[in-house]
Amino acid sequence: MIALIAETLTGLFTPPFRRKEFFQQLYFVGNKSLVIVVFCVCFAAVVTILESSFHMKMVIQNDSMVPGFAALLILRELGAIVSALLLSSRVGAGYASEVGSMQITEQIDALKMLGIDPVNYLVVPRFLACVLGGMMITIVANMACIFSAMAVSQLYLGYTPSMFLTSMQRFVDFKDLIFAMIKGACFGGVIPLVACYFGFRCQQGAEGVGRATTNTVVVSSIAIIVIDFILSYTFSYLY
Amino acid sequence: MSIISLQDVTVNFEDHTVLKSIQLEIPAGESFVIVGPSGQGKTTLLKVMAGLVTPQNGKVFVEQKEWITLSRKERLSVLKKVGILFQKNALFDSLTCVQNISFPLRETTELSDWEITKKAEYFLDAVGIPHARDLYPDEISGGMQKRLGIARALALDPEIIFYDDPTAGLDPITSRKIIELILKLKREKGSTIVAITNDMNRAFQMADRIGMVVDQELVITGNPEQTKNHADPRVHQFVRGLLQGPLTATP
Repeated sequence: MIALIAETLTGLFTPPFRRKEFFQQLYFVGNKSLVIVVFCVCFAAVVTILESSFHMKMVIQNDSMVPGFAALLILRELGAIVSALLLSSRVGAGYASEVGSMQITEQIDALKMLGIDPVNYLVVPRFLACVLGGMMITIVANMACIFSAMAVSQLYLGYTPSMFLTSMQRFVDFKDLIFAMIKGACFGGVIPLVACYFGFRCQQGAEGVGRATTNTVVVSSIAIIVIDFILSYTFSYLY
Repeated sequence: MSIISLQDVTVNFEDHTVLKSIQLEIPAGESFVIVGPSGQGKTTLLKVMAGLVTPQNGKVFVEQKEWITLSRKERLSVLKKVGILFQKNALFDSLTCVQNISFPLRETTELSDWEITKKAEYFLDAVGIPHARDLYPDEISGGMQKRLGIARALALDPEIIFYDDPTAGLDPITSRKIIELILKLKREKGSTIVAITNDMNRAFQMADRIGMVVDQELVITGNPEQTKNHADPRVHQFVRGLLQGPLTATP
């Protein structure tokens, strides 16, 4: 895995630079995942608002801080991590099965025999697309989250959008958005590395591809949660 | 002058020795055919020659250059002279037939798009599947996939071509046609061929010299006539397809 990471990072600065593959992957990661991610994070935001309100009312008999608190939670955690976990199951599983199938059908060997570095051809464009795509999806997911939180706050808690935004301004800083983008990029980068690692190591047969796909989703989800902890801990010193 | 040379090559997979102290010299322009029972290491031997498997011991030279010592740039220049047809064809399933042939040209040459397309169409014609131009590998028959694999292997005008079981799974008539195609292209290009097959008729049709991989070793059995009359009982049994003998059939 360390060797793959090193080769990928080296490949970022080693020609040929594969623009076509990069844009194809960016389309796959960004455009084709967006609807699913936005749909899911909106529901996550609604649940956050309702649960926060319920618990705040129970403890301090007042839910006026819910919009700000929820917005902070969305920007710092929810948008990035829910998006990344969804991407790991959609994009990561797709990559693992694609690369795994190429491995067992000797297409990877065919690439090598054509003088094409499989890491440069397969991993680098996917890595770049996922880093950039992860970052962009996190921004969009956060915006969708905030809007759905705003909508549910008005519908169920009676806070108007201007009240929501005022409350949000008290809690949320521009730094939160930057940190969310950094998280999105890091989570995005993990997914293709794990997927291609298991894809390249795929054993013969459909069972091997299935195992590579399962391992990718499990390991990348764990890695995302661990990296989330590390980044949150690091960012806590920067506020 | 040998274009491929193996010196004392040993390959182990985990704790299992697949090939032991293999010695082989293949002169330029020769058609060398590897035969042998299933699971004895024929494909591994081919992959060692092609640089896809690194032996634990011994040296592998292609065009007098040792694979393992080559820099990335040197390796690329040697690979441009090597073509390979894999056992399962290894066609890129996301690309159409013409794109499968264009792909190595696009990646490794400076040709214009027009020249690449023309050359790819020429090879599709040469292997007799011009009508499959815009079809995907999954949409064509096994025989056509073999032909497409051969066309891709030949796209860069290689000096050495490796064929891993080019007639596997094909009917006898198509098999014969494929071998005739391989030999026709060899005559036109003057390339060196290393091929694996389990079909002795096709081996005799194709080979200048035959080697049999058995019990971790490579037995050079000579030309087809010498192979038919070889004294080694394992060769005798395999060539004639006898049930009785030192070789045991793998289920």
